[in-house]
Amino acid sequence: MDLFAQILVNGVLLGGLYAIMALGLALVWGVLNIVNLAHGAFIMLGAYLSWSLYTFLGIDPFVGLPITAVVMFALGYALQRGLLNLLVRAPMFNTLLITFGLEVVLTYLAQMVFSADFRAINPSYAGASVALGPITIPVARLAAFGAALVLTVGLWLFLLHTRLGRAIRATAQNLVAARLYGVEPMRLYAVTFGLGMALAGMAGTLYGTVSQINPYIGSALTAKSFAIAIIGGLDNPLGVIVGGVLLGVIESLTTLYIGPTFADVASFGILVLVLIIRPGGLIGRTRTA
Amino acid sequence: MNDILEVRGVTRRFAGLVAVDNVSFTLGQGEILGLIGPNGAGKSTLVSLISGTVAPSEGEVRYRDQVISTLPAYRRARLGIGRTFQIMRPFPGLSVLDNVAVGALFGHAGGHPKLAQAREQARACLDFVGLGRAVDHLADELGGPDRKRLELAKALAMQPQVLLCDEVMAGLNLVEIDEIIEVIRKVRAQGISVLVIEHVIKAIKSLSDRLLVLHHGVKIADGPPDEVLAHPDVVHAYLGKKRS
Amino acid sequence: MKLAYWIGIPAALAVMAGVPWYGSPVLVQFGINALLIAVLAQGWNIIGGFAGYASFGNSVFYGLGSYGVGIAMVQWNLSFGTGMVLGVALAVAFAVLIGLPVLRLRGHYFAIATLALTQVMAAIVSNIDLAGQNVGLVLPPMNDDTMFYELSLGLVVLATLTVFWLTRSRFGFGLIAIRENEVGAGVMGVNTTLYKVSAFALSGIFSALAGGIHAYWITFLDPNSAFDIGVNVKMIIMTVFGGAGTVLGPVVGALVLSAVSELLSSEVTSVASLFFGFVIVAAVVFMPHGMAQILRDWRKAGWRCFVDNIKAYRL
Repeated sequence: MDLFAQILVNGVLLGGLYAIMALGLALVWGVLNIVNLAHGAFIMLGAYLSWSLYTFLGIDPFVGLPITAVVMFALGYALQRGLLNLLVRAPMFNTLLITFGLEVVLTYLAQMVFSADFRAINPSYAGASVALGPITIPVARLAAFGAALVLTVGLWLFLLHTRLGRAIRATAQNLVAARLYGVEPMRLYAVTFGLGMALAGMAGTLYGTVSQINPYIGSALTAKSFAIAIIGGLDNPLGVIVGGVLLGVIESLTTLYIGPTFADVASFGILVLVLIIRPGGLIGRTRTA
Repeated sequence: MNDILEVRGVTRRFAGLVAVDNVSFTLGQGEILGLIGPNGAGKSTLVSLISGTVAPSEGEVRYRDQVISTLPAYRRARLGIGRTFQIMRPFPGLSVLDNVAVGALFGHAGGHPKLAQAREQARACLDFVGLGRAVDHLADELGGPDRKRLELAKALAMQPQVLLCDEVMAGLNLVEIDEIIEVIRKVRAQGISVLVIEHVIKAIKSLSDRLLVLHHGVKIADGPPDEVLAHPDVVHAYLGKKRS
Repeated sequence: MKLAYWIGIPAALAVMAGVPWYGSPVLVQFGINALLIAVLAQGWNIIGGFAGYASFGNSVFYGLGSYGVGIAMVQWNLSFGTGMVLGVALAVAFAVLIGLPVLRLRGHYFAIATLALTQVMAAIVSNIDLAGQNVGLVLPPMNDDTMFYELSLGLVVLATLTVFWLTRSRFGFGLIAIRENEVGAGVMGVNTTLYKVSAFALSGIFSALAGGIHAYWITFLDPNSAFDIGVNVKMIIMTVFGGAGTVLGPVVGALVLSAVSELLSSEVTSVASLFFGFVIVAAVVFMPHGMAQILRDWRKAGWRCFVDNIKAYRL
């Protein structure tokens, strides 16, 4: 029973991390209708950025989160403004392909710069853990989970209560009407995409503190982010949290009771099932257009 | 059975909204039935229910006394139900000729022609609606009225027994409307039964044998055009209650 | 124009068929790789280019074909031909079983679902004893590059002829209609489910055949390389670059890009992959309909056709 509880807690902590990974993807997809196949590569980029900050400048990854956020935001803004803008009115297929190409470029650039070796971000508290009754909670994982929660709630509040956030939500629902109210699409799209990348980058930082990173984690993380985003639905950050936690718990349980190689099978199996049975997502509502 | 199409107690709900509410009517063989009603009345939904792109929540649709409301759209097409779309659905990358050829290749029962034959049939349909000169243009390049004609030609290439026209006259000027009316009359002369949804009351009045009126998804009138248009419920639906 | 095709293509084929006799062994090996990718590209063209469903799951068919040959030859001592048949059977079964539910999904959902499936297959197969689990299988050696070369070339011809048939058959017409407007196609009498699954299966057959040949040629097989998503990456890039939905586009795209990549990768392998990434980004922006379209537009507009392509799709 203790073991079960431990696995459950592990799953929830993992789920928080997963949720933050999927958040950026859901935002970009829901607002810009961009299915970003390079999302995982952006996560990988954020992870390497934090690793570099830590290894060469000694900046603790959590402290460095804002730096990661700003850098990734700028990158995302530029990418949207300079490249993805060119495809706004193209068929969805083209966006799929171009983000696909970006994924390849980023992966191999990372391989050239950082080599294929596995890296990890190991601040001094990396190995420490806290005991909660019979359950051990690694400090790093707890911190990552906490950060993920803060970011998610922050995003939710931003979307709900700031002018920019409301403009983003309006554009997601109805571009023409939003334009009539003075929203300037090009800037808004770039800002939203920048936000999405910032979130991905921060997710990468958090990922790097609890797991090893290498240039090739991109596509697996993309697939996983999609699974969460689709299960949780695209229009509500809280739905994504639930989706992430659900997946995290399922993966942990599968690892324990069936085997580690089947963790992926479980999560993707669920994704495919959800797509087939309820493409609208289990909790939220995914875009049907 | 002189009625080629029968709609029985058909209801369609969309997440709390009742788009079509217990509607029943018949379409007679060789008849032109007009379907009118204010915007949002459920006319297009009704046509989608008949052609198969939407399934009914309740009720059934019968074609030649055979229940078709459980069949997928393509089966109904092959049985002889053709429709045009209000928001037009051409195949953008294909030529006008090939757009219509799809109908000839897939749309009718009993064997299918070779590609070359299908194109010949398509040519004939395009001539019938008056688009013979635009045969090699890309479907994308056509202007508004021509797109309407293309929709008709595509449906006709399927050799339908029932033709459902969804606002074929929207956005046309008076001359173009008269031309389309002529085409629909020619279609009926070929023995095809036609259901026409329209907003242009004058046009549909002269064209239809019978008129059907929908309001908020409910059928509120069904009969000869003159009677129906004078019916107080119909006037109320369009113009609001008369203040005394 | 047509005369050029009637003379040019047989001539090119004759030249290519003769490579094992006048070319170096390295050229023959490059040829086998390039030709197999051309087969994959052409196969993807059927589901991605003609039906408009961007499949990220053709790697699965490729892997199934490889394992079909591997299991048949290593575990059951059957012939290569039988192995190929097994591979094809597995691919078709998969296409129907998985295709039926997954093809009901709209474009991007379909892409995601197939991407997820590809990620999963390696994990599943690495748990199957018959497939040699994680270690994989080692096939009996066959040192006849000429045979593999001609076999690959023959498969390219077969695949291209199939695609050519698509452009003048009712089936192909139906696929194009589905791509251009699926709901419209259904209403006009196209049995979209049957056609989509058939296209998926057909494209899967070619992927499986290529996988089978490849497995026997390199005599080694393991889950990660057999179900490598990179294979799918390549076939999509080559097809898009050459021209999705055209007859010769995928083949030309495959051969050209393979050649360029070969020249680059004599340096560093990651440069080649990086190159591919850039190619696809540039291609999607400047020539979304592939080289085939550029060749046609060039005659009318010269360099401007690139600018026009951008203008058509930007905000």
